[in-house]
Amino acid sequence: MMICASFIEIYKSAQKFLSIEMAQTLWLAVLNYLKSWGEAAANSLAKNLLFLRQSRRVQAVFFVSLFVPLLLVFVLTVLLPVVANPFEEAIAEAPKESAESWADSALAEISTARRELAGKMATLEIDQAFWQARLQLAKGDSISLSVDLVDSVTSLEVKGVPMRQCKILRYRGSGLVKRLQAQGRLQPWLSTPFVLQKELATLPKAPIRIKEAPKDTIEASESKGQDLPIEHRDAEFTLHFDRSLTLVVEQAQAPSFKGRLRKIWYDWRRIFGDAGGALVALLHLQLPQHRIWIEIELSREDAKAIYRALPSRAGLALRL
Amino acid sequence: MSDAVEKNSESLQPISLRPAETGDAPNAAGAISVREKIGAMPAAPGATRKALVVGLGWGLAFSIVTLLLAPVLREWAFAIVPESKFAMQLRTSDLKKLQREAQRLEKRVAGLRRRFELLAPRVPYLVVNTSENRIRVISGAKIIHEGVCSTGSYVLLKAADARQWVFVTPRGMFSILGKRVNPVWTKPDWAFIEEGLPVPPPGSPERFEAGVLGEYALELGDGYLIHGTLYKRMLGMPVTHGCVRLGDDDLRLVYRNLQIGSKIFIY
Repeated sequence: MMICASFIEIYKSAQKFLSIEMAQTLWLAVLNYLKSWGEAAANSLAKNLLFLRQSRRVQAVFFVSLFVPLLLVFVLTVLLPVVANPFEEAIAEAPKESAESWADSALAEISTARRELAGKMATLEIDQAFWQARLQLAKGDSISLSVDLVDSVTSLEVKGVPMRQCKILRYRGSGLVKRLQAQGRLQPWLSTPFVLQKELATLPKAPIRIKEAPKDTIEASESKGQDLPIEHRDAEFTLHFDRSLTLVVEQAQAPSFKGRLRKIWYDWRRIFGDAGGALVALLHLQLPQHRIWIEIELSREDAKAIYRALPSRAGLALRL
Repeated sequence: MSDAVEKNSESLQPISLRPAETGDAPNAAGAISVREKIGAMPAAPGATRKALVVGLGWGLAFSIVTLLLAPVLREWAFAIVPESKFAMQLRTSDLKKLQREAQRLEKRVAGLRRRFELLAPRVPYLVVNTSENRIRVISGAKIIHEGVCSTGSYVLLKAADARQWVFVTPRGMFSILGKRVNPVWTKPDWAFIEEGLPVPPPGSPERFEAGVLGEYALELGDGYLIHGTLYKRMLGMPVTHGCVRLGDDDLRLVYRNLQIGSKIFIY
């Protein structure tokens, strides 16, 4: 899937530089090559698997050795993290009395008023958590981020003063967020600020340029005109926070050709990083935890300003 | 592939099994199918090991693909797995009590919001955007002025004697520690090294330069200043050694509106 996406990205980028006919010819050549390569691979695979026709025992050994690691990985990285996900466990640990009262009343018809009230209280609890988290962040000296998906605003703040407020143009969220939201149990997760753990981006955090000191005034005057920096970097980044939250920021503008290539590399790093994290967790005999992700789209300038301004252990307040 | 199939079918020819030996019924023509022959064939030596190795190889390859796709598969799984049966829990079934609790919560949220809004300075303050090299002077909730500036160039200057300097404007909240009129620049070592000049001793008259910082300078601490510039065409670009350079008009406005102790927010 990723390979296809990468090819499409390259194709789109190539279209900008080549005429449409040339790009299509190039694309057809790539497709033909892939087709012939696929046929050759299929033939070679069939030849290599002929030994399976020798006996049922050989077949059994083959299929067991094929499916056992696959099933093991599937159970450990997909099934168990879903079944034993800590967010839903927290819900299951809710006071028994309330669970029973809810179950009883759920069996009976729930009045619309109660349902509305439940929704309102869940929203208010999230609001309370959001403002509490922002006030907590304001006590510190460092720059923090607040993401308000209800009002579609993200804001860069220090000491509670919003330095830059950016419009969120579009957002998507993990299915788990919607589930927890529907259950009205997001408040405990949101009540304290999230802390940034790891980040990944298509642009450097600080665009440092190294300059060797000139030996004399002649060399200094020669190098003077070369210093004008023009940076047109695309800005897409992923911020991994504690408590299994991942914030993905995408820029609204279409990236440049170089930007597309950087994006492909960034996507691959992101996917392999996630897989690596899961593998490390398994090696430490822990289940990999599913990360709740939120993807927001900002303008390139906003995304760049936010990424460059956030310190290494930045805090985040979130309102959903 | 067809060669391989032919070879394989040739290797099967010497084996002939009668129905009585296998217990299977012959087909309509009275012959035993190739498939049945294969099922009864003894495995070639090493075939089991090959099956194990190839199977494990494929298994591991598919496992890696599963590992890479695990986050997506988990997302799908969350969509399939039914939700907890007691969604939207309420602490009590008493509707009036619930309404009172909701009102209390509403007031608490409004109070928190007010507390947060009160954190903004009452007196005018300056916000410097280093990524776009722009400034804003804000008073209350109103932007009273917007303009361009120049901030740190992100140049790492390496001197021949292994000393180095990074020209970055620091980020965060600062206060104005002092205000100067017609400031004189005390040139640090890097200013000479950058120009390819020999570094004079501290306190040397060569270190003092008047007129290059504009009409005013506001001190932020650690040698960082907000000041004017002779290079006005560079405004809007990251070219400074860490200070914030402003145009004459902007500098005048900032100087007049901001007092000692006023806040400067740089991001």
